[in-house]
Amino acid sequence: MSILRADNITMRFGGLVAVSKFDMTLNEGEIVGLIGPNGAGKTTAFNMITGVYKPTEGSVFFQDDKRDIDITQSRPDEITKLGVARTFQNIRLFKELSVLDNVLIANHLRLKSDVFSAMLTLPNYRKEEKAMYEKSIHLLEEVGLKELMYEKSTSLPYGKQRRLEIARALATNPKVLLLDEPAAGMNPKESLELMDFIADIRERFKLTIFMIEHHMQVVMGICERIFVLDHGITIAQGTPSEIQNNEKVIEAYLGVD
Amino acid sequence: MKKERILLNIGAILGFIILLFIFNKTFDSYQMKILNLCGIYIVLGLSMNLINGFTGLFSLGHAGFMAVGAYTAGLLTMSPAMKEMNFFMKPIIPFLAKVEWPFLPALLMAGVVTAFVGFLIGSPVLKLKDDYLAIATLGFSEIIRVVFVNIQSVTNGALGLKGLPTHTNIWWSWGTAMITIVFMVFLMKSSYGRAFKAIREDEIAAEAMGISLFKHKVMSFTMGAFFAGVGGALLGNLLGTIDPNMFRFVLTFNILLIVVLGGIGSITGTTISAVIVTVAMEVLRVLDETINLGFVQIKGIPGMRMVIFSLLLMIVILFYQQGLLGTNEFSWDWFSKIKGFKKTPKKEVKQ
Amino acid sequence: MTFQVFLQHLTNGMSLGSLYALIAIGYTMVYGILRLINFAHGDIFMIATYVAFYAVVLLGMQLWWIAFPIAIIFTYLFGRLVEKAAYRPLRNSPRISVLISAIGVSFLIENLAIVVFGGRPKAFPIPPMFNKVFNISGVSIVSINFFIPVITVALLIGLVYFINKTKTGMAMRAVSKDYEASRLMAIDVDKIISLTFGIGSVLAAVGGIMWGLKFPKLEPLMGLMPGLKCFIAAVVGGIGDIRGAVLGGFILGLGEIMLVALLPELTGYRDAFAFVLLIVILLIKPTGLMGQKLSEKV
Repeated sequence: MSILRADNITMRFGGLVAVSKFDMTLNEGEIVGLIGPNGAGKTTAFNMITGVYKPTEGSVFFQDDKRDIDITQSRPDEITKLGVARTFQNIRLFKELSVLDNVLIANHLRLKSDVFSAMLTLPNYRKEEKAMYEKSIHLLEEVGLKELMYEKSTSLPYGKQRRLEIARALATNPKVLLLDEPAAGMNPKESLELMDFIADIRERFKLTIFMIEHHMQVVMGICERIFVLDHGITIAQGTPSEIQNNEKVIEAYLGVD
Repeated sequence: MKKERILLNIGAILGFIILLFIFNKTFDSYQMKILNLCGIYIVLGLSMNLINGFTGLFSLGHAGFMAVGAYTAGLLTMSPAMKEMNFFMKPIIPFLAKVEWPFLPALLMAGVVTAFVGFLIGSPVLKLKDDYLAIATLGFSEIIRVVFVNIQSVTNGALGLKGLPTHTNIWWSWGTAMITIVFMVFLMKSSYGRAFKAIREDEIAAEAMGISLFKHKVMSFTMGAFFAGVGGALLGNLLGTIDPNMFRFVLTFNILLIVVLGGIGSITGTTISAVIVTVAMEVLRVLDETINLGFVQIKGIPGMRMVIFSLLLMIVILFYQQGLLGTNEFSWDWFSKIKGFKKTPKKEVKQ
Repeated sequence: MTFQVFLQHLTNGMSLGSLYALIAIGYTMVYGILRLINFAHGDIFMIATYVAFYAVVLLGMQLWWIAFPIAIIFTYLFGRLVEKAAYRPLRNSPRISVLISAIGVSFLIENLAIVVFGGRPKAFPIPPMFNKVFNISGVSIVSINFFIPVITVALLIGLVYFINKTKTGMAMRAVSKDYEASRLMAIDVDKIISLTFGIGSVLAAVGGIMWGLKFPKLEPLMGLMPGLKCFIAAVVGGIGDIRGAVLGGFILGLGEIMLVALLPELTGYRDAFAFVLLIVILLIKPTGLMGQKLSEKV
């Protein structure tokens, strides 16, 4: 069953077409990759799906059990609330705050208590706050950052910052997780670890994952389907082996003689 | 451990109340005025820190908020006879002519009216960022002042209001200051406080984490406006006289100085620096005025005081951007740390 | 309102608009290159007027044509000094710090002016040639109101030529696009920024002197309101764009004069006009009339 659908979304900046008619359906439980050379429009596609940009044309839909919700004009926070979380290419943690606070903040969107009961720590809020702490600590434990939870987030080594960003996204209770180059800047060993980690969280959190990635090893090893963008145009889609043998893809990556 | 903390907190507050009693008995009226101003500036500093420091919205509209608060409370508390005397150029609109409220409801009303104004201004303006937001809020603050000069039948125009009941005493000013401190501590500890900080750190990431930027920004701005209004009301009813030109940009500048000096994003820092700046503002008044020592007169240089304060702001922002405390807060652990340090023999530290 | 009266207001509005435009260009140039409101710009304008005043007092009224250039050169140096002291050390700091520093230096200059020049207003000396009244078919024009637009246009032409045709101008445009890339092209970024401040200050100085000739009352805080208004003019036109600043300046100048002329009961709100205009523009078209959309990279 499909969970997220982009219907021919196009993004124009002035005269430049960053992404042209990107058409995609994510099925529940899949891991799908999005690859392409630099400047192909991958992050722009992400930004359209998550509401950071409003597509110039086309629509984005999020499917619930019964509903089919048009999220094309929704704000990023509304989309996250529905269950689409993301990470960023150039890690965007809350820099001055602790590791724990970073994850706690991602719980805020599910908070039911209003600001006054929160301030007065009324019983209903206290209960929610306690649940938030427990959930966050549990989450940090699962991603192996519990020992570091009182550290400032930027004091973590690079690889752990990436993990923290994923943990933070998970704290919003997503159904779909969008990862923007999670393995960027990692060495082969770290990338492989990350791959296991991603496969692992998909199982445990029942996620559908859509990821941009440059490391072919990671993409080919873990993704069930792959989309290839070049100059904003979807030049190929299919299983990893299909993509590996696709001439257009090879051309786009290696150039034509 | 937790119980111990609570006892310590209660003890500290009680100790402080006793201290206020002693001040109340021993200080002369000039010193009392400074003490009152300290309390009021704590309220104002914290309200600006909530907006600018914790939520990262660079707003320069405080003087305008204070004007709204001061006028609301002033008009509500002034006696009808006094109003008649004040409004000799143009009579006051009938609906305000007869009201005379006690101080507490007037103070709350001042906060509520200002919060409402803050909400009205915030809703459109908070879509802007950084310097645009700064200039737009500054613009609104100026508009409020210009409007107050011009709506004579409500504000008495440029003549201002004279003879406000001077309700504000140290219990009101420091009571409000304490309530504001407690409010801020609890707010910033809560999930909403964390959401504010997230917006300050990275708007795009905060939004991606499902935090509605608009809702939380307006919330922070409205709360800040509330306390700025209350602070303005306390100030008006302390001085007894208000006029629109009191509420110029300089006033916002003074509060900004307090926030920057204390550490942008620290409740403790703002509280301490509010006291330091207020006292220094008064003490350094001597620089502007001529001092008569009987045998010799030392000529004051008007403006020197503000030169020092602007220099101070520049030095802090250029060399000590953290201010006094950065984003750190007071906690009783400070003392145990100091104790712990004393216990450690110096030899061991070397190793 | 007769046609003559209308023309009268129009010339007034044109000369006020020219002054606003001249000062607004300084804001826009600095913003274009530093992405920063130079809060002290209005104060630089004030300093220029005071220096011109003292220079005329020292040299005598006949030598105003030496006194004014001295003031302009002084202001040029002063603008560069302000940049070096208050902005350069914070090149890599958060925007909020730079903004606070800008406000701080503005206050510092204002209060130093009170200390040095005294708080009491002074009367700006007006050489007779700027004070003649012409009568053209019922419309009386003070000669300064004629000089202001002419000088403004001349300066504008010079500036546009400088920015578009000279090597330094090209470097300026490069720096406003990308610091790093400019550095790689062997452009001394700090020097270009400083120069931009200098040029902005020169325009503010010319504006300030003409302001003094039109409204001959000097006060240490005289730069505050015109400063804010001209910043608004720059934003209204589209900040970072020189044509925008000129357009914004004229809209503001003409708008203010016409508001008072057409709706005299709103005279008291004259100073609020600019702010209302600002807020309306920011809400409708935040990039200003001529501005281009800048989007943040995610």
